[in-house]
Amino acid sequence: MSSKLAVAIFIGVLSAGLASQPVLAQTGSLDRDETEHAPPYDPWEPVNQKIFWFNLRLDEYVLRPVATGYSKVVPEPARQSVGRFIKNLGIVERLANNLLQGKFPGAGQEIGRFAINTTLGGVGLFDVADQWFGLKASPEDFGQTLAVYGVASGPYLMLPFYGPSTVRDTVGLAVDSAMNPMNYFLSTVEVMAIRGGLTVVNAVNYRSLNLQFFEDVDRYAVDLYGAVQDGYLQRREKAIEE
Amino acid sequence: MIRLHVFICKLITLSTLAVALPAWAADSPLTLIRSTTERARAALQDPAYQGDDRRQARVEKVKEILLPQFDSAELAKRTLGPYWRDRTDAQRKEFTQLFIQLIEKTYSGALDRYNADVQFFYDQERIDGDFAEVDTRVFDPVQNKTYSINYQLHKVDGKWLIYDIVAENVSLVRNYRNQFNRILSKSSYEDLVQTIQAKLKQLSTPASS
Repeated sequence: MSSKLAVAIFIGVLSAGLASQPVLAQTGSLDRDETEHAPPYDPWEPVNQKIFWFNLRLDEYVLRPVATGYSKVVPEPARQSVGRFIKNLGIVERLANNLLQGKFPGAGQEIGRFAINTTLGGVGLFDVADQWFGLKASPEDFGQTLAVYGVASGPYLMLPFYGPSTVRDTVGLAVDSAMNPMNYFLSTVEVMAIRGGLTVVNAVNYRSLNLQFFEDVDRYAVDLYGAVQDGYLQRREKAIEE
Repeated sequence: MIRLHVFICKLITLSTLAVALPAWAADSPLTLIRSTTERARAALQDPAYQGDDRRQARVEKVKEILLPQFDSAELAKRTLGPYWRDRTDAQRKEFTQLFIQLIEKTYSGALDRYNADVQFFYDQERIDGDFAEVDTRVFDPVQNKTYSINYQLHKVDGKWLIYDIVAENVSLVRNYRNQFNRILSKSSYEDLVQTIQAKLKQLSTPASS
């Protein structure tokens, strides 16, 4: 093991220790008032609706059948490894966004995680950084960075293929993918091909791991568009808060 | 003689504890969530309620345990948001009943997938006057995944009642409110009631897959 790697792991473990210091209990009222949250800002709803239904059809006729077949051939632990492998490749953007948001312990954790999982975790197939060293992921993206710098989310936006987003998060998505180190080593065509391939694998893989969840949302929602919209916005809100 | 004395002392201590314990237990939101979950879990594992033919009895039993811990009217009120104000008492009652049926149907589906290896962790509680929050996690070994579940409670006549559940950072009340408000702002209360009734009817038939 090179000394640089050892240092990186040391910093990672150290900052993870700092990060896991107990946080003081939140003060302020626990009463969640029902008028507290304004309804989502969705001025482009007619277009969003169309894209949403397109995505649903795409899911119903392509993604779900493929993911179901794939889940029958590839056992779940292997599928989880595929997900972890792809996630591990996103180190540069996660690191950059942790730094941009001033989350230095988070940045250290990400360095440590990448170093450990790429080596001991077999090119990222296993998350031994978490299992053995308790190094948790600090998944920050550029949409969150923009939010930290005070950029409002802008209108809700349904992206074809990708799913729910906002204007700010879409810009973030573009910036994050431009940060991928592949861009420096490969030609544009190669990058696009690889990224396209990875995206498809990731989508099928993710869908296969969440077959039941998608079905539940579809089955129990009274207004599916509203359920998906709110689910995305609430989770984003929380991710930015943290 | 000393032995008898010790025995009586023990007896008194034990009986005091037995009286004091439930009173104290009723005061802690975390204890309430834990005991309710454990009771529901025991019912689900009870040999008397196993098998597909006893599904109805099993669901009823769990409902009997869970329902008294929820503030149904508060849940319904919060999901209607600003539209609750304009409802008559009869409509509020009707809507509360419908909404609880919807929740029951949703959860009875989840109960079918319960397995005995699921682990529950009761992490912490925060109390602020008559409001409280309990953080828990559920580990599902089948999927090898941990889910965060946070309960929001408030005190009504000295008893803690749940008025919202936040699963994986998504508030149930807020999610339904967004769905309902979209229907209410474009159409009418009557239309919302019909939509929920249609959904309940659809959920009464078993899932297709």
